[in-house]
Amino acid sequence: MNLRENWRIVMLVVFVLASTFALFGPAGAPDAGANNSSSYGAATGPTNLQFGLELAGGSRIRAPLVGTTAETLEIQQGQRSTIRQTVGSELDIPTGDVSVVLNTGNGDAVEVLTENVSEQRFRAALTAAGLDGEGASIRNGVTAQTRQQTVETITAKINRGGLSGGQVATQRSATGENYVVVDVPNANTTEVLDLIGDEGEVSIVATRPVDTDNGTAYRNQTVLTNRQLENSQIGVAGVTEGGQPRVPITLTEDAAQNYSRDLVDLGFTSSEATGPLNCRYRESPNDPGYCLYTVVDDEVVYAAGLAPSLAEDIESGEFQKAPSFIMQTRSLDEAQNLQVNLRAGALPTRLAVENGTVLFLQQSLGDRFKWQALLTGLIAWLAVSGSVFLRYRNPRVAAPMLATAAAEVYLLLGFAAAIGLPLNLSYIAGFIAVIGTGVDDLLIIADEILNEGEIATGRVFQSRFRKAFWVIGAAAVTTIIAMSPLAFLSLGDLQGFAIVTIVGVLIGVLVTRPAYGDVLRNLMLDQGGD
Amino acid sequence: MVEFVVPEPDYDRYSNRQLAAVPLAVLALALLVLAGWTLVTGTPVTPGIEFTGGTEIQVATDASQSEVRQTLDFAESVQPIAGSNEFIITTQSTDADAIRSGAQSAGYEIVSVQSRSASFGADAQRLALIGIGVAFVGMSLLIFVLFRSFVPSIAVVLSAFSDIVIPLALMNVFGIKLSLGSVAALLMLIGYSVDSDILLNNHILRRRGSFYESTYRAMQTGVTMTVTSISAMTVMWIVSSLFGIPLLPDLAIVLVFGLVTDLMNTYMMNLSLLRWYKFEGVAR
Repeated sequence: MNLRENWRIVMLVVFVLASTFALFGPAGAPDAGANNSSSYGAATGPTNLQFGLELAGGSRIRAPLVGTTAETLEIQQGQRSTIRQTVGSELDIPTGDVSVVLNTGNGDAVEVLTENVSEQRFRAALTAAGLDGEGASIRNGVTAQTRQQTVETITAKINRGGLSGGQVATQRSATGENYVVVDVPNANTTEVLDLIGDEGEVSIVATRPVDTDNGTAYRNQTVLTNRQLENSQIGVAGVTEGGQPRVPITLTEDAAQNYSRDLVDLGFTSSEATGPLNCRYRESPNDPGYCLYTVVDDEVVYAAGLAPSLAEDIESGEFQKAPSFIMQTRSLDEAQNLQVNLRAGALPTRLAVENGTVLFLQQSLGDRFKWQALLTGLIAWLAVSGSVFLRYRNPRVAAPMLATAAAEVYLLLGFAAAIGLPLNLSYIAGFIAVIGTGVDDLLIIADEILNEGEIATGRVFQSRFRKAFWVIGAAAVTTIIAMSPLAFLSLGDLQGFAIVTIVGVLIGVLVTRPAYGDVLRNLMLDQGGD
Repeated sequence: MVEFVVPEPDYDRYSNRQLAAVPLAVLALALLVLAGWTLVTGTPVTPGIEFTGGTEIQVATDASQSEVRQTLDFAESVQPIAGSNEFIITTQSTDADAIRSGAQSAGYEIVSVQSRSASFGADAQRLALIGIGVAFVGMSLLIFVLFRSFVPSIAVVLSAFSDIVIPLALMNVFGIKLSLGSVAALLMLIGYSVDSDILLNNHILRRRGSFYESTYRAMQTGVTMTVTSISAMTVMWIVSSLFGIPLLPDLAIVLVFGLVTDLMNTYMMNLSLLRWYKFEGVAR
């Protein structure tokens, strides 16, 4: 055997080895690494294959978010609070259900996070708030920021709730609908929905040192109640231009009035409180100085002092007019957690489960599907083998053909393991499509090479191989074109099927099917020499 | 032992018109079925719960099929799964909570629940139609680019069209609803059906040898391809239906319909068009 002449076979062997490594090698997929605990089924079986919900069991809830959004507006930072208040009262809904989002990529936006908002009334309310109500573009759904916040909140709650391995993401359908998708292995949908719906109590408590007869004591006073926080707008955790992680907050005017009065009365705006006695909770929790605690269900989750600049704004009355401030954190993770805490775990808006999909599968059923699907595939492969043997009656032609078809599926499985693709039933349908086109192509190659009698020379083989390849290539491109709308349109459930089929056809046409041609040539030349 | 030999049909005995008449008549009949179905039900094929919204639950119980049907009065269909004490129950209702508690209070163990809202289903349906439409148009354009002459190209496109329409009509006849599995199968058919047509066109138009020699050579390969696929899909349909695996049975049976249709279309309709093109169309 000449390696150079048989480079196609060499390539196939290399791919098979790589696939074996991806499937059975240590650590396996990059996705299954230590910092990602969320891939399901990692390391549960003898292989590195990962399984999606349909084969592993668990719950999937996919739902749009309730809300109506007005975009292409122009809003000044200082207007936030008044806009929320005006729009809320015009539409008879709590201020907490109106949020103002700046720089959405489609201008500034006002969203109303309740059901059944009439477009007409919304426009009127926007106009009443001093905005261009007639010119705004109004659509169903919420802004990307709110979706992001919802995803972060649900993720935090699922991780805290002890349901391990959950994944939350947004999904956009080709028709422009946005969905939030919550996948939780090994939990039923009721558990998941209960956990998502679960809300706690949050408040901001001011603590300060007071001189008493027995020395310094600490006194606590609530300065923002659960209700006041509910009505304020908690922004999305992010990083400022200077690289500082933070959570922005906009209070209602009423809350801001009380908040500033309390802080001034308690001495938080004094130079002592913003200076030497500013919050040092982290270093000395028993003698923290002037601190503002974020308390969730009686537990302090965040502590910070008042920044001098904010103290100045409060003293001057500037803050009461534009009651927005930021809470700084040490990391983005901490900011995201704080954002969830400040809402006491409440979602920015409701998941409209009734307009989405719910899937639940017991793990045992998932396991059963796994081996049944495997068995079905195997039986289908045997059926193919049967007809191929009956047709050629020559094991030299038929056996490599069946081995090549099997290698194709093996390479695909290796590919799935390598990129950490969670397998679902639709992927298995894709495997079947690949075997189908694969065997078709192998038959074309075999007939083309064998039909015209003896293969005298390498050149004859090359020319026949090229002829066969024209048909195979044309058929492959057709299949890829037929599948690409599904692969790129994000059709959700059939996307996996389309991607597997396309990748499989590519692997087949570029690697395995040409190698079969080489195998056949070697076997036939051997036979000719007998 | 059985032998799988592709027979050589005696095409000389039939005129092009006779050859094309059968597939065209079947196609017309299929279109008639689809049109009639649209008139009566409002859609060419009855969409399943993936597209209309609805709930499918699988429960384990020792009760019999008729008992389950009686207990769960919302059930539209109750299907047992072979070799187990489980049933698949489908309904148009999307109130998954009520359905779950209904099944639980009857003492059934819930193995799986799958529920889709009507609006989500409508969205999926639109996407599926777009997907099939774009795939078909893309395939047609590619065929015209590959062959660069009208008659052979239109022969392939027409045959692929018929390969999709006839299975759709057969789905109505056999009471199979449109599901994700059958949509996947229709898309696969666009790819599969074109294989044997390209092969035939290629042999007849681009190879030396007489028309009938080329035809027979293409047939030997093409018929083997299609028959192999049909046999694989038939066993897959039987096995996956027995197991009650979702998605796969619909996919397999629609592919069987389509591949059988393809045998007829390729070697009667496509062939007659090519013969006409080769002996009469070009000569003029």
